Amino acid sequence: MRDPEVISTDGLSKRFGERIAVEELTLAVPAGEIVGLLGPNGAGKTTTLRMLAGILAPTSGTALVDGLDPAKEPERVHESIGFLTESPGFYERLSAERNLTYFAAFYGGVDAHAAARNGIEQMGLAGRGGDKVGTFSKGMKQRLALARVLLHEPRILFLDEPTAGLDPEAARNLRELIVSLKKEGRTILLSTHNLTEAEELCDRIAVFRTRLVAIDTPGALRDRQFERRLRVRLASMTEDWLAALRAEPFVRSVERGTDGALDVRLADPDRDRPRLVTRIVEMGGQILEVREVERSLEDVYLSLIEEATE
Amino acid sequence: MRRRIWNVVHMEWAGIAATPSSLLFLAVIPALLVGQAVFLSWIVPRFVNPAILGAGAGDADTLRLLILKQFPFFVLLIPAMIANVFATLSIVEEKVTRTLEPLLATPVRTWELLVGKIVAGAVPALLVAWASAVLFAAVGFGLGWGPLLRTLFTPTFFLSMFLLMPAVSLMSFVIGVIGSSRASDAKAAQNLAVVIIFPIFALIAVQVTGLVAFTPLRTLFLSLVLLAADGLLLRAAVRLFARESIVTRWK
Ligand SMILES: Nc1ncnc2c1ncn2[C@@H]1O[C@H](COP(=O)(O)OP(=O)(O)OP(=O)(O)O)[C@@H](O)[C@H]1O
Ligand SMILES: [Mg+2]
Repeated sequence: MRDPEVISTDGLSKRFGERIAVEELTLAVPAGEIVGLLGPNGAGKTTTLRMLAGILAPTSGTALVDGLDPAKEPERVHESIGFLTESPGFYERLSAERNLTYFAAFYGGVDAHAAARNGIEQMGLAGRGGDKVGTFSKGMKQRLALARVLLHEPRILFLDEPTAGLDPEAARNLRELIVSLKKEGRTILLSTHNLTEAEELCDRIAVFRTRLVAIDTPGALRDRQFERRLRVRLASMTEDWLAALRAEPFVRSVERGTDGALDVRLADPDRDRPRLVTRIVEMGGQILEVREVERSLEDVYLSLIEEATE
Repeated sequence: MRRRIWNVVHMEWAGIAATPSSLLFLAVIPALLVGQAVFLSWIVPRFVNPAILGAGAGDADTLRLLILKQFPFFVLLIPAMIANVFATLSIVEEKVTRTLEPLLATPVRTWELLVGKIVAGAVPALLVAWASAVLFAAVGFGLGWGPLLRTLFTPTFFLSMFLLMPAVSLMSFVIGVIGSSRASDAKAAQNLAVVIIFPIFALIAVQVTGLVAFTPLRTLFLSLVLLAADGLLLRAAVRLFARESIVTRWK
């Protein structure tokens, strides 16, 4: 068995003077999982990642990363993590390759030159390695920053908004890279404002606003936040049918939407769906469409954040 | 540990080499300093009557020697100045380009980073100072001031060059580090450092200008005191280079 939790926090908190940035965060991430940190600007995502990476000391609470406390033994934690910082940060007067070699040479057992060349190629910057970083575009710097994070092949990755500034193709390549990193067994905690990306990549999503609002799989968050509904479109429709459907024990409610379609809540959506269809057909209804109302992760997120604000 | 320190040193040097202005800065200093000292000691005795020095000062050489004697004081200033500028620029640049945070996410220790920066700044600074002294001697002997210079190159002079000067430049460097760790921009950092360094320069000035006799023993003692203070300041600098404030407080 792999060790159950690679990243865990217990009541992790950080205040800056009067302002509380992170409050009582308790979280556990098992090996090989990708967890997404979602939250509005200023929610404390970057602060959390910095505490886990041993760059900020927590005000209270503890964290364990790979079995080590980043506040007590930051350098040992750094051996096994890669931290993609919010802003890329390079020595702009020096070449991309020289920059990467510098960072690579801090890790024990890493051939800095080979790792640097490798990283440049892997991130699609081949041919630009000798150019000064100052001549790079924003997205190119971001890719170089990702190469830097992977130089020592860390088992744990903290990625602060990894696809920020990338073009659609580069963003997709990066998502594919993240998936392949997960397949290699790496554990990844990433923050993002891109909800589609979070849903595509993350095993679990932590919605966060100073405090942890909810953490679960995207599907479970959706079910928890929104009752499942069916949308039923009929060729024609009478008030009697509406009343008859409402009288059925397995129907919780039926509303008629502005477009004339029915919005139906069932006692048990999976079990009762065929019954509903049968009943409508029995009444002589001509069904054009029955489908489940899709709630986007955005709806789920916004509703969770709204609840947290109240 | 050594590998990480050398890594920092090499990177600092690559940075200096990639900046023509800092190379120029390094090259111009000895030329300027020696040129000025030689020019003054050549021109002043020609136009100023040595008699203004009062009784006992009979000839041009006495006046010339008086001017030449100021030279060690200026040489002492070079590495201190260079060290301070390099320290502030190096740290301020890390903050401005935001390289410090990714750097602190690597296994490098704060003290390794600072020691690397100190070595990287101290080596060119001391080399430039020593080169100035050699150039000064060469030009001086070339102009036929050998006997004068010989009275200048005393054990005290060599103690100052090889012990006092490193001690002073180390202090200047560490103070630069502390200044730029705490200050919120480059200018404030350098101003702060200058304010703290000034008393040290005053002390040296007093010694060199002869208000206090500059004996080998005193020079040795002063150097050792400064080196001890350097050690303490370096420890303070490592602590003040608190990862936290540097990563987040900087605008
Ligand atoms: N050094 C600091 N001093 C004071 N307050 C700080 C400091 N660093 C962060 N904060 C505050 O902590 C809170 C959380 O900031 P943080 O950068 O973690 O947010 P975030 O979730 O990463 O936001 P974003 O999505 O905009 O990146 C904010 O209110 C911010 O103002
Ligand atoms: Mg952030």
